[in-house]
Amino acid sequence: MRLALPLLWLIAATAAAPVVQAAEDPLVMGVFPRRNAVETAKLFTPMADYLSERLGREVKLVTSKNFDSFSRAVAEQRYDIVHYNQYHYIRSAKTYKVIAHNQEFGKDAVAGALFARRDSGITEVSQLRGRTIIFGGGKDAMLSYIAPRYLLMQAGLKEGDFKTEIAVTPENAVVALYYKQADAAGGGEVVLDQPAVKNAINVQELRLLATTEPLLFLPWAVKRTMPATLAGSIQSILLDLKNSEAGKQVLKSAIMTGIGKAGDSDYQPHRLITTAVFGAEGNAK
Amino acid sequence: MRLGLGAKFTLTVLIILAGTNAANTLYDLNASFRFHEQQLIERGRALGRLISLVSPEAILGFDFLTLNNYTREVSEQPDIVYSVITNPEGAVLSSYIDTTDPLAKKYLGQTESRDALKVLQKLEDRDELIKLQFPITHDGKLLGNFLVGLSREGLQSEFRQQLTIKMLVLAAVVVFLSLAIYAVFRFNILHPIQRLIAASRDVGRGQHAVVDVKSSDELGLLATAFNAMAEGIKREQAQLHRQANFDTLTGLPNRLMAFDRIDMEISRAKRSGQRFAVLFIDLDDFKSVNDSLGHPVGDRLLVAIGARLQAALREGDTVARLGGDEFLILASDIRSEMQVEKIADRVLEAVAEPQELNGRRVVAHCSIGIALYPDNGENAESLLANADNAMYQGKATQQGTATFFTEQMNIRLRKRVQMAQDLRVAIELGQLTLNFQPIVDTADRRHRGAEVLLRWTHPDRGAISPAEFIPLAEADGQIVDIGDWVLEQACRCWSSWRDAGIESGFLAINISRIQFRRRFSARLAELMSIYGVPPEALELEITESVLLDDHSQVAEELNSLRAVGVKLSLDDFGTGFSSLSYLKRFRFDVLKIDRSFIAGLPNNPDDVSLVKAILAMAKGLDLNVVAEGVETQEQLSFITAQSCEFAQGYLFARPSDEKTYRSYLENRHTGGEPVRRSANAT
Repeated sequence: MRLALPLLWLIAATAAAPVVQAAEDPLVMGVFPRRNAVETAKLFTPMADYLSERLGREVKLVTSKNFDSFSRAVAEQRYDIVHYNQYHYIRSAKTYKVIAHNQEFGKDAVAGALFARRDSGITEVSQLRGRTIIFGGGKDAMLSYIAPRYLLMQAGLKEGDFKTEIAVTPENAVVALYYKQADAAGGGEVVLDQPAVKNAINVQELRLLATTEPLLFLPWAVKRTMPATLAGSIQSILLDLKNSEAGKQVLKSAIMTGIGKAGDSDYQPHRLITTAVFGAEGNAK
Repeated sequence: MRLGLGAKFTLTVLIILAGTNAANTLYDLNASFRFHEQQLIERGRALGRLISLVSPEAILGFDFLTLNNYTREVSEQPDIVYSVITNPEGAVLSSYIDTTDPLAKKYLGQTESRDALKVLQKLEDRDELIKLQFPITHDGKLLGNFLVGLSREGLQSEFRQQLTIKMLVLAAVVVFLSLAIYAVFRFNILHPIQRLIAASRDVGRGQHAVVDVKSSDELGLLATAFNAMAEGIKREQAQLHRQANFDTLTGLPNRLMAFDRIDMEISRAKRSGQRFAVLFIDLDDFKSVNDSLGHPVGDRLLVAIGARLQAALREGDTVARLGGDEFLILASDIRSEMQVEKIADRVLEAVAEPQELNGRRVVAHCSIGIALYPDNGENAESLLANADNAMYQGKATQQGTATFFTEQMNIRLRKRVQMAQDLRVAIELGQLTLNFQPIVDTADRRHRGAEVLLRWTHPDRGAISPAEFIPLAEADGQIVDIGDWVLEQACRCWSSWRDAGIESGFLAINISRIQFRRRFSARLAELMSIYGVPPEALELEITESVLLDDHSQVAEELNSLRAVGVKLSLDDFGTGFSSLSYLKRFRFDVLKIDRSFIAGLPNNPDDVSLVKAILAMAKGLDLNVVAEGVETQEQLSFITAQSCEFAQGYLFARPSDEKTYRSYLENRHTGGEPVRRSANAT
């Protein structure tokens, strides 16, 4: 009987565990502001809800009004789960552990690229010396700025050998190129396939100048302090999205075709590129 | 095509309504179009200002997708064809062409839709396009321009649709109003007018018509005026009927009514088998009453006689005045000629009853011709003509009598008519000739001249007396031509004799009353001039009847003849309307005593007294006197003893033709027999 009472308590405690967990603080999921907050919330709220349901713990989606506030939140580890670009991860790799990556257009990776107008006569990256190059999404943008810069460096062009313009998004960079606001544009190789771009311009008038090696898509990371079981559960849920109808709806809402498993080593090529562009200290910011 | 008043009025109203409403509708629609066009422009301006305001951030951030959103959002607004954002150099940064816009559909192909500059160029000159441009600036620096093209096509389409709808509604309203107006017009205007037209037609057909006056408006006044007019016409018709059928002087039925009465009496007599009589009454010598007492007195006499005739007849008999001094009596239900004779006697007595006029006692007489139905005619014309004929022939025999018509009268009448017809060609056929009967001085029997006498030798009837054919010639006016022929022949004869050296003396030519009325003095002067006949060679003989005509005209013509220089002779003095006042009023040179007075000389005391008196009067008036019809020495001795200057008659010579008379003249000159007797007699 003496043994029975502690056993009954254990059973009761075990049965009541979800209740105790539900009462825990919600997990905070941050998404980088490459789109405006409203659109970001619209795209990823289903993901947060899905995670909440599957984890049995509330996952709270937090948006940022700009990259500065987002970067501060990452630096302050306010997010339990974070979705950002590759450079963001590289810079936060000490505090966050990558667990997965986006699959877009059915691909795991995409190359960074440089584009020019077909009617400009520019066919080589080296011809961009002294020209205006427009990049999208700011200087943190992995595919739209860092990777094209890397291609420029590969062609011997350092910062200052060309004039830099920054468009708010990669899509705008190629649209600006189309409207002859620059001589070349940097962006992901798939930017021309974006509906927004295809609907806005005649992409056939643009030419691909050069591409990097394929780079794994945007990463999903969790705080390194997160319990391994929880991190594993989150990883499993994310990887399992494409296997259920509900998960497919979540992916579709976030404009993704799937989520693949990723580890830190998968972003080593990115790290090499960022190091090449910004130097080792650039990765530590 | 004849348009009625209603159709004209309605058509006019329809045109006015359609015109004014169409103009009003067009004005309203045009104003509405302008208003909405202005609204469209204001909307374009508002959008332009908004895009200019929000675009700098996107331009500076190369946010072309946002710019595209802007241009797309703008272009998706109604009536906006395109929206374009350019940089300051004009390069396109963002554009959106609304290919669904009607204007774009109209002028653009699908392939051109992305080339904004080409689109703008292509639409540049389209009137339907409103082009607006707004600068995009930031901190005073020009970042670009926002171009927006607004289409009037939608407004115009709406305008056309509205116009169509309003015109259809307007047409319906106009048709409805026109029908309503026509209905009101028809009820209030046309119906009264049609009633007036119908009434007018009735009046036109001689029927009396009155229209109901149902309103006090102009048509009511017109209807009232029409009724007054119809009443006036009725009165006028009654008056005209009276004037047409009754004699205004006596109030008796006139000739027209007399004919109607006779026709009616004929119809009645045919049904009843009765006889009736038509009495044609002509007053004897009524002209002398007019001449001597004046026409007003004559009129009063006619009125009095009309009243007496009415009083003398039975009720049911008709008295009518045919004109002048002619009356007609229609005596119904005649059983015997004796009954008619009694009526005629009563008429003769009634007419002969003395009448006091202007203080003078006037006694009139009449002659009556009687025709009986159906014995003397089966219609009004023949009855009246036969009664007239009977009266004429009765009066010719003896005035103041009643004469029944006989078939012999008609025979005589036909003879007269035939004679008148024969007389018309007598001159052309040379059947008329002149005879000359010498006039001599009673003192020494010397030849002074001759009276010209007309003779007619008819191919069938032989010699016809002037007393027979001259009245016929006077009755139908032939006497003018005949008299002219006589005058010319006389002048010609006298001229030929003179040219032959024969002293013929004067020629006394008888002038008819009818000739005298035609004022033949000018013609006489012309003939005298043509034949070179001096005035003293001619003496014109006129009878007292000439003097009964208008005195002023007679005096005027006599003066004209005197001016010509010829002598004037008063013929047949004492047989007609001899009045001493004539001799006093009209100056004559010669007086001719009728043979009827000479015939009783010297044994008939009345003739003796009369001839003495005439000669004494002539001496007193300083007139020469010619005694006609002197056939015996005793007659010559008597008149010579009474100082009658000239004589004419068988005692000296019978009338002879031109050739014989010329021989007489030549023999007289050569001392032969002064007179060679002729078979022709006056």
